[in-house]
Amino acid sequence: MTLTKVNREAVPEMPNRLGIAGIEFIEYATSRPQALGQVLENMGFRPVARHRSREVTLYRQGTMNLVVNANPDDARVSGTVDGQPVISAVAFRVQDALKAHNRCMELGAWSVGSHAQAMELHIPAIHGPGGSRFYFVDRWQEFSIYDIDFKPIPTVDPNPPALAGMSYFGVVQYIGAARSADWQTYFEHMFDFTSIPDEERFGILPKGKLMKSPCGTFLWQLVEPDVWMEGDDSPECLQRIGFGVPDVAEAVIALKARGVEFVESTRLHPEDRGALTRAALGSVAFELVHK
Amino acid sequence: MNLLDGYGMDTITMAGTLEAKLAAMKGAGFSQVMLMARDLVTHPGGVKSAVEAVRQSGMRPTGFQVLRDFEGLSGHLHSYKLDIAKSMLEMCAATGSKVLLACSSTSRHATQDLDQIAADLKKLAMLAVPLGIKVAYEALSWGRTVNEFPASWDVVCRADCPNLGIGLDSFHIFAAKTSLDAIEELDPSKIFLVQLSDFMWQETPTFEERMTTARTFRVFPGEGVHSEQLADLVLRLDRIGYRGDYSFEVFNDDYQQLPLDTVAERARKSATWLHQDVLHKSAPLPEWTRQRA
Repeated sequence: MTLTKVNREAVPEMPNRLGIAGIEFIEYATSRPQALGQVLENMGFRPVARHRSREVTLYRQGTMNLVVNANPDDARVSGTVDGQPVISAVAFRVQDALKAHNRCMELGAWSVGSHAQAMELHIPAIHGPGGSRFYFVDRWQEFSIYDIDFKPIPTVDPNPPALAGMSYFGVVQYIGAARSADWQTYFEHMFDFTSIPDEERFGILPKGKLMKSPCGTFLWQLVEPDVWMEGDDSPECLQRIGFGVPDVAEAVIALKARGVEFVESTRLHPEDRGALTRAALGSVAFELVHK
Repeated sequence: MNLLDGYGMDTITMAGTLEAKLAAMKGAGFSQVMLMARDLVTHPGGVKSAVEAVRQSGMRPTGFQVLRDFEGLSGHLHSYKLDIAKSMLEMCAATGSKVLLACSSTSRHATQDLDQIAADLKKLAMLAVPLGIKVAYEALSWGRTVNEFPASWDVVCRADCPNLGIGLDSFHIFAAKTSLDAIEELDPSKIFLVQLSDFMWQETPTFEERMTTARTFRVFPGEGVHSEQLADLVLRLDRIGYRGDYSFEVFNDDYQQLPLDTVAERARKSATWLHQDVLHKSAPLPEWTRQRA
């Protein structure tokens, strides 16, 4: 008699058909790049390179790349009101950018035209919520995409260390009322994100629906307006970035010393699981989450 | 709060300019309107002016129609239809409509594979997500593969996509003589649109007769020979918990040559009949009862 043995603890593998492997960069669009640059520098970012043909600056700290796009067309398309910066794009690292783009097109994504100039990289993109875009980048291992489109700023350390060990943890997306299921299905279908049960929460604002990238390196949070905000029909948008830190309290002290202000409220418990910065320039807030 | 709030007219019922139609509907007491793509593109001022006219009227769009023969195509036909769908979605979004009506395909070039049909509709629904639009898939009674609502519901279930639901049209249900018992199988939250109309013939056995009647000789609910069935349909929808809009999809050559106010008045009578005599909903209390002392 043979005994059949089944692996009782086999975990089904999460599909990752785009080969998503993290966030390559996040882009803000703004008509006030200097003011936003100051906010970012307070948060520990350093300007390291400038775009060859457009008014775009690359900021960096640790593993995080952040692009500030002040190109007049992009700043306008992104609907910047009163110069309030908006998160205009998130670039995902993928196995093969063209394949990823084609697959998304096959599944019902809207393509975004490129305006790359001669010898510049054409980064395929699809439309995201509001005026935002999702880019697909595959050349993040062999060489840096920034070497092609950007010129390094002289005398600046191209790889400044991360302040308080910060790294990208997630993105918060504001969505319309009763739209969670639509967007959850969208992210599951397009990017193989998976929904995290409502009981499992990170950070200090445990609202909305939480999703996880198939590579497991970042989270995506969908926040609907509250019931009492019935009249809130503001457009959907990528609202803020979350940074993961090994020690929230330490990070708060370090950032406060640089002039960053935090939201203090009895409803929040900063320096515990996370903290939220006060919105600068009307719209730019960051969340710290214990990693 | 208005007695007619849950009911609306379709622009296709009346002749005249978009502004005149909107004014006539509003004048009869309606607060929502089912828009047709043609209303936008034939507007003398173009799409932008038409969108502005809708906004100015203060009327809420019930939905936007109609995407035809979308699903089941392959190769260049699929690519072509995808472009058409994108333009329809963009116009739908521009008017502030939350629902795009997609009718089941009549094309002999389309596959009859229900899973492929579902996959195509899911793609349409995904395109609609960033624009905040829901897709209502309706079974045309002369659709090639899907021509009764249990079939459109089957396809919607296969696609399993929150912003893809069904649209019901009483004309097609009665023309195809579909049993209303299947209403019980529906999830009311996935019925994104209900279009109502009656007609004068007892029998429409062939697709040709259905098409001719559907396009020229529908009447308002309560005006035709299917009023009892129509009342039954509405009561069944109410019983399973449907609380969405009822829109009057009345194509009628006679109404196209009557004064707009006259047609809108017929629609108002029809809505009142549905609301009070069929659904037995109470008339709202007068405004002064809700004013605080």
